[in-house]
Amino acid sequence: MPAHFTAGTRINPLRAGIRFVSAVIGPDLRDGGADAPSQRANSGWIAVLCLTIATALLLVVAGHAAGRRGYDVAPLLFWSGVVLLVVPTSLRITWPMVARGERLFLLFLLAEALFYYKTVYSPTSFINHDEFLHWIAADDLMTARRLFLSNPLFPIGPTYPALEILTTAIVNLTGLPLFAAGTLLLAVLRGTFIGALFLFFESITGSPRISAIACLAYMGCSTFVLFESMFSYESLGIVLCVLAFAVEAASKDLVGRPRLKALGLIALLLASLAVTHHLSATFTATYFGALAALEALRRQGPLRIGARTAAGFTALLAIALPSLWVQARGIPLTGYLGPMVESGFDTLLGKILGAPTPRSEYPGAPDKALYMRLTTLLAILLLALGLATGFFRSLAMAAPSGARSGWRPIRDILKRRWRDSRLVLLALLAFGLPVSVAFRLTIAGWEIGNRMGTFVFIAVGLVVAVSIVHFWQGRTPRGWRRIAPAVALAVIVLGGVASSTINPIHGRYRVAADQASIEPMGIETARWAKEWLGAGNRFTSDRINRLLLASYGRQDVRVRIIEGVYSARIFEAETLGPDEFWALARSDIDFLMIDLRLTTAPPVLGFYFEPWQRQGTPLSGAELLKFNDIKGVTRIYDNGWIVIYDVRGLHENL
Amino acid sequence: MRICSKLDLLAACLWAGAAVAAVAVSDSLLIRTALGAPMVFLVSGHTVLRAIGVRTGSALQHFVYAVGASLAAGIAGGFALNAAGSLTPLGWALWFWAVTAAAALVAAGRRDTPDLPAWPAPARVRLWQGAAFMLALLVATGAYALAVRDEAAYREFKYTAFWLLPSASGESGRITVGIRSAETQPQLFDLEITLDGQPFAIFRSLTIAPGETWAREIPVPVLATPQKADARLYRPEDNRLYRSVSTLVPHI
Repeated sequence: MPAHFTAGTRINPLRAGIRFVSAVIGPDLRDGGADAPSQRANSGWIAVLCLTIATALLLVVAGHAAGRRGYDVAPLLFWSGVVLLVVPTSLRITWPMVARGERLFLLFLLAEALFYYKTVYSPTSFINHDEFLHWIAADDLMTARRLFLSNPLFPIGPTYPALEILTTAIVNLTGLPLFAAGTLLLAVLRGTFIGALFLFFESITGSPRISAIACLAYMGCSTFVLFESMFSYESLGIVLCVLAFAVEAASKDLVGRPRLKALGLIALLLASLAVTHHLSATFTATYFGALAALEALRRQGPLRIGARTAAGFTALLAIALPSLWVQARGIPLTGYLGPMVESGFDTLLGKILGAPTPRSEYPGAPDKALYMRLTTLLAILLLALGLATGFFRSLAMAAPSGARSGWRPIRDILKRRWRDSRLVLLALLAFGLPVSVAFRLTIAGWEIGNRMGTFVFIAVGLVVAVSIVHFWQGRTPRGWRRIAPAVALAVIVLGGVASSTINPIHGRYRVAADQASIEPMGIETARWAKEWLGAGNRFTSDRINRLLLASYGRQDVRVRIIEGVYSARIFEAETLGPDEFWALARSDIDFLMIDLRLTTAPPVLGFYFEPWQRQGTPLSGAELLKFNDIKGVTRIYDNGWIVIYDVRGLHENL
Repeated sequence: MRICSKLDLLAACLWAGAAVAAVAVSDSLLIRTALGAPMVFLVSGHTVLRAIGVRTGSALQHFVYAVGASLAAGIAGGFALNAAGSLTPLGWALWFWAVTAAAALVAAGRRDTPDLPAWPAPARVRLWQGAAFMLALLVATGAYALAVRDEAAYREFKYTAFWLLPSASGESGRITVGIRSAETQPQLFDLEITLDGQPFAIFRSLTIAPGETWAREIPVPVLATPQKADARLYRPEDNRLYRSVSTLVPHI
């Protein structure tokens, strides 16, 4: 609003401040429409960006190669590759006058390039902890050709077998190896996710430009690059979840039979989601439940009754199908998720209220490079700025079309008058970002914050995109307004890459650091076990070697020696106490594997065996080698670092 | 302009039939992947979408929905085939064929099956742009090949594995001793085996090349009481005990 001052006018600083803040965060939708007139995709730009991304990926591969050898140049190669991968494409996607098709192509290109970036860390096999769990389950399914086989490392996994079903379907039909089939499935899921997310945003905003920027902002989520690209059930769950959102949003203006047909497809997707992933199904149920509640609250709209009925029926399906599946299979979901959620909330509340820090919080966060932390911090600040300037504008987009001046749209929404409940819901859901960041500041709550981010960023992406298009850029921006928001989005995506893992560069072996602890010697020892001892022996070991033994070694690995006694107890003392000795003797464990590399440094992630058994100091050689002197135990394998003990002789002594 | 033909349904059925034939008679990875992968990701879902009668507004929307419906068909297939005890290659091929054929029949029989969305107009690509795409593809593929090669070539830990087992072949009167080298240079070893502390066998000057496995099955007397066999590996160059392993000899 232009102000005209005369020489005699006194400026009230408070009022000027309020006006300024109101202009910045207020609901003003600058320039009305967000999109430029339709135009053709620029093949020249696309070609140049394809070449840029290919060069960037080559640099990333070179960075991994240098990192494996411990060369100092590794971070320079790797991060220059990442910057080249993300920045030019992000700038082009955010540019104001770009065709819909070109934005879409570049979004697919960037999403698949980031998937490639994730895959070249380990180009011939799965390497992340959760990937091993699903790989073992898929291998079991291929071998036994039956569902619902038990998995001691992942007790809840067999009850959500959709990912394994699809992967083994590909293996059976094509003859591809499991890793290739899984990677092909994940690549298709990546593209489908971006396509569905774009369609979802486009249905509710009507703007390809906002939709593309929202998808790009979503890539700033810490789980996008790695966690949602893993061979793990959430990678399929989030795709089915967003697909259901997209189909529902696209059918919002339909009535009668066309709406029923869309509901049929939604029901199919929700049924698939119910057997795929518990958290994605829970979030989907929450979203559709909240949407139905908002539709019930809404006062305005010509299709109100039909919309209410459809929203209510969709919510019913979204809630009933996963609940029925949990009941039908007797899934102990509360026992699985409950302790994690409880300890996360307790720790966060304790931190807020100033309670003494629990012991589990002491080991501290793993070391991360300063530049990675600063990038993440800057990305969070930019996201916060985007939320602050986009929240009321997103709500204003949902207001009746006649109410677009001043704060009137917000007043209308407070009076329960809005056009689209999805926009209102997403604007409110964006508040989940600060909550998820707060959870990520605690060790116990990190898992909750990380999982929350996956879903919350759908809303964050939209609000940030609205902020960029309607406040920072406008319809035809010039000068810094054209460059700065685009650079900010590129930083947000880089923040997502930087916060996705402790160290994304393939380096030398590190102790108890999940993928950084997987290397050829451990793999070959697990393969040796399969070759010389046969498959299916009962083994116990530390967290990493258990994964290797179960996957490469096809052994029956155990987390507990007997009921109530975790394997950590027999490893973590210089002598085997009578309780531990008898537990081991009474158990059906055949072999123990110890890894002397664990004695060389404290665990990077804070634990050697299980996350709830955090340990800040390294194990000692005496602790691990105490089995040398126990009668009935023989040391059958030794490679200088890894030793296998045969404990079957103990059972005979009973 | 929308496409108002139902030829796509016939094409989907033919594709599904070809996939069944490929799985039944061919071991070619290329043929089976070319025919089988689209069944899991697209073809079955496309016909399901047409059978339900969902109207899609753009090619992108149709593709995305078709992938979603295909994934749903695949997941349902897992449960159906599990119940039938047919989680086999042919079982999967027949499942996708059945879903595709049934959905195509339903879609073909409907009067209100929506038309397909129009394909977007192809972008004009100049020669240099086409060359840039090809070069980009080449660089990305080459980079992946380099990553695979580097992963296979690089080993952080160099080691020699040494083991002693009751018997690899399951015979009770034998023990198995083995050495595997993952070093960069050939290694020279002396190997000594004792039975209940008494010298039993000696192998002198064993040269193990990088990547080589040396293993022997050794007959041992079987007694009524368990005996402990120990094997020690020495490096002649410094006459040092390098590795030591043991096992229990199964008794009668």
